[in-house]
Amino acid sequence: MSEGTYPFQLGGVSVWCDQLIRGMGDYRFRIVALVASGREPSMWQLPDNVASLDVVPLWGPPSTARVARRRARSSFVPLLRRLIDIVLSPPAERQHEFAEVLQEIYQCAKHDDLTAGLDNEEGVRVISDAWRDRWPDVEDLSPNLHDAVTVLRLFEHSLRPLSRPPVHVDLAHVATNGLGALPALTAKWEYGTPMLVSEHGVAIREQYLVNRHGPYRWPVKSLYLGYLRRLCALSFGEAEMIAPGNLWNRRWEAQLGADATRTRTIYNGVDPAWYLALADEPEAPTISWIGRIEPLKDLETLLRAFALVHREMPAARLRLFGWPPYGQEGYLSRCRELAGELGTGDAVTFEGRVEDGREAYAAGQVVVLSSISEGFPYTVIEAMACGRPCVATDVGGVTEALGSTGLVVPPRNPVDMAQACLTLLRDVDLRRRLGAEGRARVLDLFTLDRAVSEYRETYNLLTSGRSLRTDLSGSEPQSDDLLALGAPG
Amino acid sequence: MTTVDEIPGAPPHEDIEPDEDIEPTDLATAKVIPSGDIDALCQEFRAACQSAIDPLEIASTLEFNGWSDHAIEESFGYPDVFALAREMYRRVPRHPLDPQIAPDPWGPSRLRPLLHGLLYALPAVCFPAAAGILTGPGVLAVLVVALLVGWSLSQGLAHLGYTRRGLAGPGQERPLLRRGLAVGLAIVVLAMSLTALLAHARLPVVLFGTGEGAYMLGASVLLVVGAGRWLLLALAPGVVASAVFLGLGRPAYLEFVVWIGLVVTPELALALAMKFTRRTSPPVGRSWSGAEVLRAVPSAWFGLAAAGLLAFPIAAGLHGHGGPNTAALVAALSLSLSMGVAEASLIWYRRRTQRLLHASGDLGGFVIRARAVLLVALLQYAVAAAALMAAVVAVAAGGGLTAAHWSELPQLASYAILGAALFLALAVQAFGLRAFIVAAVSVALAFEIAFRDLGVPAQLAACGALLVAVGAYAALELGKVVRHGY
Repeated sequence: MSEGTYPFQLGGVSVWCDQLIRGMGDYRFRIVALVASGREPSMWQLPDNVASLDVVPLWGPPSTARVARRRARSSFVPLLRRLIDIVLSPPAERQHEFAEVLQEIYQCAKHDDLTAGLDNEEGVRVISDAWRDRWPDVEDLSPNLHDAVTVLRLFEHSLRPLSRPPVHVDLAHVATNGLGALPALTAKWEYGTPMLVSEHGVAIREQYLVNRHGPYRWPVKSLYLGYLRRLCALSFGEAEMIAPGNLWNRRWEAQLGADATRTRTIYNGVDPAWYLALADEPEAPTISWIGRIEPLKDLETLLRAFALVHREMPAARLRLFGWPPYGQEGYLSRCRELAGELGTGDAVTFEGRVEDGREAYAAGQVVVLSSISEGFPYTVIEAMACGRPCVATDVGGVTEALGSTGLVVPPRNPVDMAQACLTLLRDVDLRRRLGAEGRARVLDLFTLDRAVSEYRETYNLLTSGRSLRTDLSGSEPQSDDLLALGAPG
Repeated sequence: MTTVDEIPGAPPHEDIEPDEDIEPTDLATAKVIPSGDIDALCQEFRAACQSAIDPLEIASTLEFNGWSDHAIEESFGYPDVFALAREMYRRVPRHPLDPQIAPDPWGPSRLRPLLHGLLYALPAVCFPAAAGILTGPGVLAVLVVALLVGWSLSQGLAHLGYTRRGLAGPGQERPLLRRGLAVGLAIVVLAMSLTALLAHARLPVVLFGTGEGAYMLGASVLLVVGAGRWLLLALAPGVVASAVFLGLGRPAYLEFVVWIGLVVTPELALALAMKFTRRTSPPVGRSWSGAEVLRAVPSAWFGLAAAGLLAFPIAAGLHGHGGPNTAALVAALSLSLSMGVAEASLIWYRRRTQRLLHASGDLGGFVIRARAVLLVALLQYAVAAAALMAAVVAVAAGGGLTAAHWSELPQLASYAILGAALFLALAVQAFGLRAFIVAAVSVALAFEIAFRDLGVPAQLAACGALLVAVGAYAALELGKVVRHGY
């Protein structure tokens, strides 16, 4: 079950999905892809062992089929009232009721139209009344009708996966713990299908960040994020196994009630035969960066850091490989403008998209990751496999990936980033040593074969119905060891 | 590695933007907060704490700004970011600030309705200028068919374009409109050819009708892609030549210039439409689907029926048996001119209902006030349309086109009622409600055709019933809160 990723987006989660499916050629996959409008083009050639692709648009137009509106309204509105009431309760309470009401919505959606049932005046009234009952005297909050309609729309769209027939499979693997968990939950309710939940970034954390400054007013944010938070917790509670992509994620998962005894960290991996150690370096002192050009990657900090590097080392160059995803073209323009304002001139080049990422790693003496949020970034482990030393921000699983083979700096801190880059650019021996150690670390811990075989083992375990707690004992990476290695080198 | 744009649950194209109150260069200063001074930290993250829905939101903000478990344990003695966030959530009371209000999509724009009014009105001057070539058999048939086909295709094309843009993003409607333009043009040529064959129309007449249909298609595309201003450029040759020609008393030596102008205007409109539908962003999804086209059919049908209601009395004559009906012609022309006013009034209506939605907490109160706003919008339009009609009648009477006699009043009144009904029909359709409107307009047209022998009374009855039906439907549906949330 993918959510806004494979096979309709590029990016780390999609790379991981594709690697996993291709690596497990003896399994057949049915992909349930939650997408925005349903008009997204496929970005990947699906492997032969993909049996079907079921696309679930969350924001597309509703079905135009004739529906029994009155019956649908009488079915769904009372459920919406209960759902809202539960979500407005303290997060630690009534979680079992949350699961029950979602199941009832799923059952109703089998014979009644969800959109017709929710998108009506009664739905608005339910939300308005619930707010009034909960916050009768809090003037700051003052939910208005626009807020109520917005919540209604958000719930209607985000519950749509419950109105789809569940897939009948041996194992439901959730790629991101958000709305993507809903199709897996319906499969579990209908057929008892075991659930495996992977998480690369922490979806709920990113939702908190996305919604901090708007667009929604507090009452809307409170209800919608409250719903997503409960859904994440439900998914962790129902999953037979949870497979975070790094140890750092587990801290968040624990906050949402994930059971540590059912959790097994499985790192992303790269193919070291493809990402061979690079023998030569470019002559000029060059920093390279590769990725999708979007705010999450915080290229502004990198450009500011490079301006400081360039002041100290005028021969230094910064080469940026990548292209903005749809809708983020403005961010690329802002970065170009910033580069111009910082006066680095031709020393900064925007190289565009490259088909082969190795080209980007070969272009720099140092590879930088400047992101403000990551899971377990492929950029870092690919650069390590190529023997390139990295300067990376301390986000997500970066320290686990790098260990002592790279320099970790705080996010959004151009001074520290510049200092780390200068340290590496000035010291060829340090670069060579860290490069060699980085590749050795990848060969040891982060190969594609290892990642796939760990998932294969997990799939076999879950489909065999054995006791998971017994089988998992002793298989978890020891966080202390990895994090001790993760201290800045 | 999940990124924001990979999360369909998030609003489309949301970014994780840096905290505006904490500049990157200030990050180092975050570390100079006195060790253990949680109040200072709360002060720094005051806005985030006040607006947080739970401690996890504060934890995400702390991490986002560079605070790790390790740093927190060293500075504040809390085991991790979550424990500290819980304490901050406890210390700072909720006092959420409203987010910045997004720009009002229905914000005041006096220029646009004025421009659109001009664009609807200016082509009218070409018809009297072309009187010299609009002779022989089948002229009325060609012009009416061109109007029907042009309106119908324009409405369908506009629906396709706006829907695609809404679903797939700005710019994605362009390739679809480009294809639609080509297909529409083929339909116009086919319809004109068939009409010419059946009505034995002369070639210049058929070419004029084809140009009329082509212009309407090109204009529709340019308006959808937001390039309406360029349409003035396309109109200039035909309109300027026609105006000068008429102004100078139709001198024979200028006839050729008028023809050239009338040929260039539709060609320029098509060329500009092609230019503005060039692809500017990578394609998203298939170029078009059958379902997409099918969803545009009701809009096209509405265009056909509405054009029918406008044109039928002109074609049928005063008593339903053919013959001239100059009052209908003048009234239909004034309704075309009033479309700019209709647009302005609709924008005003949307703006006011949005404000109402943000200001109301009570459903019952909203229903009453939303209906009142709709009534005011309708009255605004009706008064302006009546004034325009009076002005056009006066000009036409001055030019000897119509008698401006009291006997023409029922005919004019029926068009005024039709204008009000079409205004409400457009208002309702703007909310995606089409089935009832299409049915009502079709029934009204069918009634007029069936009872054409009755002449103007039939038209009055049809338009009056249409206004009552569409008005009741609009009051019912547009009084609902859910219709206004988007």
